[in-house]
Amino acid sequence: MSGGLLDGRLVVVVGAGGVGKTTLAAALALGSARAGQRTLAMTFDPSLRLKDALGVGEAAKDEPVRVRLSGGGQLDVALLDAKRTFDRLIRTYAPDAAAAERIFSNRFYQDMAGNLAGILEYMAMERLFEMRALDRYDRIILDTPPTRQALDFLQAPERMMNLVDSKAIRFAMDPWWDGKGEKNLAFRLAAKGALELSDRLIGRRFLLDVVEFIRAFAPLFDGFRRRAEEVRDLLKVNTTRFLLVTGPGPERVPDAMFFLRKLKESGHHLGPILVNQVHPDPGAEAGQDRGLDLLRFLAGRDQRGLALLRSLFPAPQRIIPVGLEALPPSDLGSLERLFNRLVTKSLE
Amino acid sequence: MTALDRLAERQLVVVTGKGGVGKTTLTAVLGRLMARRGRRVLLLEVDPRESLHQALGTEPSGGEVVPAGAGLSIQNLQPSAVIEGMVREKVPIAYLAHKITQSPAFHQFVEGAPGLKETALLGHAYRVLQGSHRPRTDLVIVDAPATGHSATMLAAPGLLAQASEGGHLGDMASDLAAFLADASRCGVVLATLAEEMPIQETLELIELLGTNLEIRPDFVVANGLYPVLASAPGRGSAKDLLRARRRMNESELDRLALAWDGPLLELPLLPLDRGPALVDALARLFEAADA
Repeated sequence: MSGGLLDGRLVVVVGAGGVGKTTLAAALALGSARAGQRTLAMTFDPSLRLKDALGVGEAAKDEPVRVRLSGGGQLDVALLDAKRTFDRLIRTYAPDAAAAERIFSNRFYQDMAGNLAGILEYMAMERLFEMRALDRYDRIILDTPPTRQALDFLQAPERMMNLVDSKAIRFAMDPWWDGKGEKNLAFRLAAKGALELSDRLIGRRFLLDVVEFIRAFAPLFDGFRRRAEEVRDLLKVNTTRFLLVTGPGPERVPDAMFFLRKLKESGHHLGPILVNQVHPDPGAEAGQDRGLDLLRFLAGRDQRGLALLRSLFPAPQRIIPVGLEALPPSDLGSLERLFNRLVTKSLE
Repeated sequence: MTALDRLAERQLVVVTGKGGVGKTTLTAVLGRLMARRGRRVLLLEVDPRESLHQALGTEPSGGEVVPAGAGLSIQNLQPSAVIEGMVREKVPIAYLAHKITQSPAFHQFVEGAPGLKETALLGHAYRVLQGSHRPRTDLVIVDAPATGHSATMLAAPGLLAQASEGGHLGDMASDLAAFLADASRCGVVLATLAEEMPIQETLELIELLGTNLEIRPDFVVANGLYPVLASAPGRGSAKDLLRARRRMNESELDRLALAWDGPLLELPLLPLDRGPALVDALARLFEAADA
């Protein structure tokens, strides 16, 4: 009985940053473990408080770390780190150590690969895939990086596939490049009408760096492509549920709508929507005070937001308000209480 | 010198912080205050779903410059449009420029090339500030994108200049990097909430800006502080909640103060929805706190 909160074997928690997504993901993972499921929580950037609550540190960046649960259940936590995942991926897929070294020492990779658009999102998917392949878990709760645009995250596998298949890459992979050097490159670019772009605008060295990077990367492409396809399919199966966490108030509704529309359009399966940090109404008897008046305003505002969301996404879509707490959870006990509140609310 | 005096001397100010910390409202507040001091101010936003216009009560920009009161305009920028404009300018043959901007390879490059969009955004701000640009602008305030680290954004022109040495893009990026490094003309303002994660990120950002870019923020603004309960000594869950939130705000501000000895401005949570009334109220409080 989890009120639809834990329906998937894979639960992907999405939402804009700063709305308590990571904390809710941790509470769900704990609840899942308590229910007897071997559970893995994968998360990006938990607060110190949350790391302390779970008792995990930096070691969880390399291997999942077991949380010490006194009341039973199995919960592991893995911290996601884009650069480390990328490095590990290269070691896995490079045909030999020399090929891996070539990539690591490429200036483009060093300076910029970690900042490539969507790479963080893709690496989250990649790590997820690694963990699932282990087959050690009944359920994985994935806390996603905070993206304002859901697209970045959902499109990460697709993007990686497009990149691998792109004309630019095929072009860079042409055998003309070998041994003949820059002159030939200029010739080929001119033939494609791209000389102006490459030379005058971008500068030839940049292009050469990128070409070199792509070539060093080439032996990994097939593996990448297969993985990206599998990850894309995994996100769309019926046992994968997307759980949206949003902040309260009407101002957050457009963000939530955007996420939900994209998820539906792209054929992903939606779980409940959690509206976090809803302010409680102090009630008339609490008295008059600047603080209480503010709280009344905020409570009213948050109710307006909920009403708007409910009118846009009527039943059977579940929308679960989660009250603002005095303090965020700082130990396993308070995380578990948070989970229990979620379940109670979701059954209302 | 007050924080606002310092800001008034700047040409470019980047307002940064994670999503949901009140960055956009703060950008509007600072724009309003600078315009009142007689500066001609442009506020730049980069977001497919714009929100600056709501804060100031104007029409959405849709990519155009929209007036938002005396001395103040807003623009929601699409980086890819700026890059296409640059190609058209640098490639004088219309046919060729068209061919380039229409090619899939170009779009993949624009989407994938690290730092390019950031550089285009800051480059646009830089150009608007040039004497030849009409209408004249004295100060551009950038509402930095919520995703990614703003340190990455500010470092982008330098990295791109290095990578693309010798091309127009490289020349432009290296001019821009020099401009950004000029502490007398460019400044950074950090927006945060007095909560654990936002303060943690603010501390990391201060450190990162200092070590990687030798930038010290002009000031930090802590938004959305819960009030001190004035009367009401009694108990009750609402009062307890308010007291606990306020205590948390204060202890997080103490944590910030341990690592940040520069100007810190505190703005309260107000019973107002996003809009011009909120911006005006916060502008008054900002001035009072800064005096």
